[in-house]
Amino acid sequence: MLLNYLKLAWRNLLKYRFFTALNITGLSIGVACFLLITLFVTDELSFDRFHDHAGNIYRVDADIVFGGSSLALAVASDPMGEALRKDYPEVQGYTRIYTSNGSKLIKKGNVFINEDDVAHVDSTFFDIFTYPAISGDTRKALTEPNTVVLTESAARKYFGNTDVLGKMLETNDAGGTLYKVTAVIQDMPRNAHFYFDFLFSMKNVQYDFGNYLSHNFSTYLLLRPGTTRKAFEKHFPDYINKYVFPQAAQFMQLKSIDEFEKSGNRISYQLTPLTDIHLRSDRMAEIRVNSNIQYVYIFSAVAIFTLLIACVNFMNLSTARSANRAKEVGIRKVLGSERKTLIRQFLTESGLLAVISLVIAIVLTWVALPFFNSLAGKSFRLTDLVRPDFLLFLVLLPVFIGLMAGLYPAFYLSSFNPITVLKGKLNAGARRSGLRSTLVVFQFATSIILIVGTIVVYRQLNFIQNKKIGFNKDQVLVINGTGALDAQYRAFRNEVEKLPGVLGSTMSGYLPVMPGARSDQTFSKESVMDPRNGFNMQCWRIDENYIPTLGMEMKAGRNFSRAFGTDSSGIIINESTAALLGYADPVGKILYSADGVNSEPGPHTIIGVVKDFHFASLKQKIGPLSFVLGNANWATSFKVKAANVKDILNKVQKIWTGMAPQLPFSYQFLDESFSNMYRAEQRAGKIALVFSVLAILIACLGLFGLASFMAEQRTKEIGVRKVLGASVQDIVGMLSKDFLLLVVISSVVAVPLAWYGMHRWLEDFAYRSALPAWIFVAAAIAALLIALITISFQAIKAALANPVSSLRSE
Amino acid sequence: MIKITNLEKYYRTEEVETVALNKLSFEVKEGEFVAVMGPSGCGKSTLLNILGLLDDPDAGSFLFNGIEVAKFNERKRADLRKHNIGFVFQSFNLIDELTVFENVELPLIYTGVKASERKKIVEEVLDKMVIMHRRNHYPQQLSGGQQQRVAVARAVVNNPKLILADEPTGNLDSSNGNEVMQLLTDLNEQGTTIIMVTHSEHDARYSHRVIRMLDGQTVMENIMI
Ligand SMILES: Nc1ncnc2c1ncn2[C@@H]1O[C@H](COP(=O)(O)OP(=O)(O)OP(=O)(O)O)[C@@H](O)[C@H]1O
Ligand SMILES: [Mg+2]
Repeated sequence: MLLNYLKLAWRNLLKYRFFTALNITGLSIGVACFLLITLFVTDELSFDRFHDHAGNIYRVDADIVFGGSSLALAVASDPMGEALRKDYPEVQGYTRIYTSNGSKLIKKGNVFINEDDVAHVDSTFFDIFTYPAISGDTRKALTEPNTVVLTESAARKYFGNTDVLGKMLETNDAGGTLYKVTAVIQDMPRNAHFYFDFLFSMKNVQYDFGNYLSHNFSTYLLLRPGTTRKAFEKHFPDYINKYVFPQAAQFMQLKSIDEFEKSGNRISYQLTPLTDIHLRSDRMAEIRVNSNIQYVYIFSAVAIFTLLIACVNFMNLSTARSANRAKEVGIRKVLGSERKTLIRQFLTESGLLAVISLVIAIVLTWVALPFFNSLAGKSFRLTDLVRPDFLLFLVLLPVFIGLMAGLYPAFYLSSFNPITVLKGKLNAGARRSGLRSTLVVFQFATSIILIVGTIVVYRQLNFIQNKKIGFNKDQVLVINGTGALDAQYRAFRNEVEKLPGVLGSTMSGYLPVMPGARSDQTFSKESVMDPRNGFNMQCWRIDENYIPTLGMEMKAGRNFSRAFGTDSSGIIINESTAALLGYADPVGKILYSADGVNSEPGPHTIIGVVKDFHFASLKQKIGPLSFVLGNANWATSFKVKAANVKDILNKVQKIWTGMAPQLPFSYQFLDESFSNMYRAEQRAGKIALVFSVLAILIACLGLFGLASFMAEQRTKEIGVRKVLGASVQDIVGMLSKDFLLLVVISSVVAVPLAWYGMHRWLEDFAYRSALPAWIFVAAAIAALLIALITISFQAIKAALANPVSSLRSE
Repeated sequence: MIKITNLEKYYRTEEVETVALNKLSFEVKEGEFVAVMGPSGCGKSTLLNILGLLDDPDAGSFLFNGIEVAKFNERKRADLRKHNIGFVFQSFNLIDELTVFENVELPLIYTGVKASERKKIVEEVLDKMVIMHRRNHYPQQLSGGQQQRVAVARAVVNNPKLILADEPTGNLDSSNGNEVMQLLTDLNEQGTTIIMVTHSEHDARYSHRVIRMLDGQTVMENIMI
């Protein structure tokens, strides 16, 4: 029986080749999009879930409001983990990751290689996190100083094999440190909010340990099963009273925590579940730039809608063609076929179509995978689709699509009354269907929303790139790791400055882009700090060329100058700090540093105010920041002429390798680093663009099919009208009018939805582009034009046909 | 009004070439009522399509009111057609989605007559065809005879000088057929030239003259009284 259904279904698909081709094209593109996005979404959702204890691991985050500046940190203080473990039995264990030292130079043979994926971690790292060992005992591997755990890739890279226990690795820390390899682990999975190739012992970190006020450690707690996050977070006020407050009180002459809080200051802590970090955490000092749950929602919606649009095509074309199939149904019914049988027949057809489409979709997915990978920044392989859970999904998908697309047409077609059908009275009615119109509206409304979304995302990205960010990011070549040149530094900088096309240079690792160093310090307006006069502020060590080289502007006062010997204790603040301080004329006023700037606690005279510039993502407001003269020589920036950037870069590299062949040459362009801060948005923008185009394409395939069907249905009418004097324009207008009306209705439906959605998305940015009406008008017009082109192709074909031939068929 | 000389029309399908019109020549004067007869497939409809400027001949000359139109392009033909020629078909060819009124109104829309004026003209014509009471009905709701009356109304609404009718009674019973023939005769008496294809000797008697065709050629012309 099934075989019989299949045979008939196959014949029908072949008989209506044109529509079958349209359906299969639409469905397979739709399914391919769906598969790709499903890969992406499941990957995003899988982050950090591979640890045995994933469900019970939490990161400790700090929220600090102090002196008008507020910090949402992804890090905690050095002793916090241990204090919590000691005091609360719910804490089964904790571990910390320290990445503030940035990248390391690691020696291989005679040369140093710059490694970014490095961290210092506690010996408990492997008690909390699950990383299978290849050799060595990871539990004991990092208990001693000067020990390192390598991944398999790192071991192969430096030693050629993984049999490296006991071998030594030399790094540039503290002027050269040797580490003994104590374990090798498998490469860390990439679907995690951190991954490293080298895990060094925490005992080698040079740090002012024991400070409860300074937050620099990513701290993870493993809570005992059954402990809820909410319940544990209730302990934090006690912790603050017991440990944080006493130190703060001593530091700024406090009598009570109330006094601290009354001045609008606040310290609080919270736990972020490990598995939420990747999609829901966007704090300062995240180990890597995280993604955003919004994109998961948006892309899931796009995937589902793309698939639905393709299914709608099938439904629409099937019911529209019902007039052609009606006679078949009528004859079958007269011959005694039951409705049930007919429904099965039609469902077999849609099911067969779905299976064929799935097969093609898998091929398409395979072809598109490299492109999608570069788009999404992932590295999926086709074999990811044959995981057991995915396999089940792949089997269910055609069943679902078959039912989705086939159910309505099946019931609709099988419901025909044989008598009306055989009299041929159905044609007029079948041509106009409210449901079909609704579905077309759905398709185009979705398309318009996607177009709007894409335009808005692109505009916001452009806005970010072109906004007056307060410094000139163009044509700035940053050479990293210049500190390692030591004695040769001065010579290197002089040589480069002598190159034609190099306009200026500045030595500072503090840069207004990521990655750049950050230094958050406590200052007060008076020599004795109290909660009312203290505040947190970024304090960057720069030289006197920094402000001109990066194109920043002074609002008041002056830049540092060699002419003033006193400038070593001078400080330049930004406008935000000036506003925070509230002085009418801040120049000449004094700020007191608590921890010491350049290890020099004490007074700093404000010598100038620099105009606000963005030094973090535009998602955040500009906070207080200051400059002092100091040595931060691990990066040096050169302003170069636009014309010879490539050439200069080559020459700089030559100078570098001439002086320090053993050191890696590493550079960045400031504008590129700037746009890297928006990588997630850029990816989202590109993905949105590609999938909107595909969704619209699929919707157009459907419209194309419908239009050609309508034209076919109305051949006779068109002939008659032409005989009566209708021009080609008249006919095209007549055929397009109905569809275009539907597109207009779609716009009316789509605009408010799109406005709401994009408004919500933009709210995420502290500095955002406007949402002008033209975007919506443009999207609607674009949809209208696309629809018009699609329809007019068929309409013009029909209008140009000789009426004699269409009337002959009577 | 119409003068055709050595008109030829071929149809090529894959390998076979059919000669539909073979050096056909005749003349029709203004005010005449001519019937064209002949066996099936002899080229009558083909001839009518060419006379109606729906199709172009492959060779020969076709003078319409003294103008050579055989080589006219599609737009020029359409223009000439919509102002001068009305059609009546065997299968009525009314548009199912439009009412009687709207069907008759169509040619006026395409010749750009104003809406207010259209209403007047259409109502006049519907009155004349005694179908006014059905003006808001759809074609499916009418009998065959009524449908053909609507078709005739539509053919004359533009006041054409020439009406071409291809077996106008072919789908009608004899009483409805006679009614339509009477309508055509009346129109002819008011000065409209009519060329009608028919298989019925009875209908042919309404005309002044019969042109008999065989294999794309005229074989005989006989004058009827
Ligand atoms: N579009 C076409 N393609 C191929 N051959 C055609 C075409 N139209 C007409 N013919 C052929 O040309 C010849 C004349 O056809 P035409 O329709 O003019 O005949 P007719 O005299 O009107 O016949 P009937 O009385 O049956 O209506 C026939 O042999 C027909 O098969
Ligand atoms: Mg004929």
